[in-house]
Amino acid sequence: MAADLIELKGMIETALPGSTAEVIDETGTGDHLRAEVSAPQFEGKSRIDQHRLVKAAVRERFDDGTIHALTVKVLD
Amino acid sequence: MADQELTDRVRELINENQVLLFMKGTPSAPRCGFSMRTVQVLDQMGVEYGAIDVLPALQPLREVTSEISDWETFPQLYVNGELLGGCDIIEEMFENGELAETLGVEQPAEAEPAAAEAPAGEAPYQSPPMKIEGT
Repeated sequence: MAADLIELKGMIETALPGSTAEVIDETGTGDHLRAEVSAPQFEGKSRIDQHRLVKAAVRERFDDGTIHALTVKVLD
Repeated sequence: MADQELTDRVRELINENQVLLFMKGTPSAPRCGFSMRTVQVLDQMGVEYGAIDVLPALQPLREVTSEISDWETFPQLYVNGELLGGCDIIEEMFENGELAETLGVEQPAEAEPAAAEAPAGEAPYQSPPMKIEGT
């Protein structure tokens, strides 16, 4: 099942209030995605913690197998 | 629930090795593009690092790292006992100089945008691959 990019964008922006997210399908197969996120919650956090916040926001879609890979790009 | 014995072993390895890479395959024969790219970055840094091939025990190791680091995908690079990141974080930190800073080394010349030609690289320092047997 292909991921719903709009849904994922919404999940990230809901989990991180004040953030903006763009989710891009990198391979055209709907399961290898790239999220470009800017969020006030990133302030003062290490890269790994920033990525954890984003992944946690869409965990449900990892767990149900919709997404296999999500590259995170943090926009400062 | 991750296997307790394996969890203890992984924690031990993370604490014993200042720089430790969990990867698919070995540094000389990576079996995943992301692992290969991470090795290439580390080799340019000229630091000694331990490498663990996760393939013989992929699923159990996923469960362990999920529990101790909240991270399930490989490669994973640990520095001073902490997960620094996977391939994309390592490459980004390499490019902006944060990796050199974290590792306490000089940023290699090849990473400079102005570098015309990469100098003949030294052979990378690297401890022999460690093994974790599948359970």
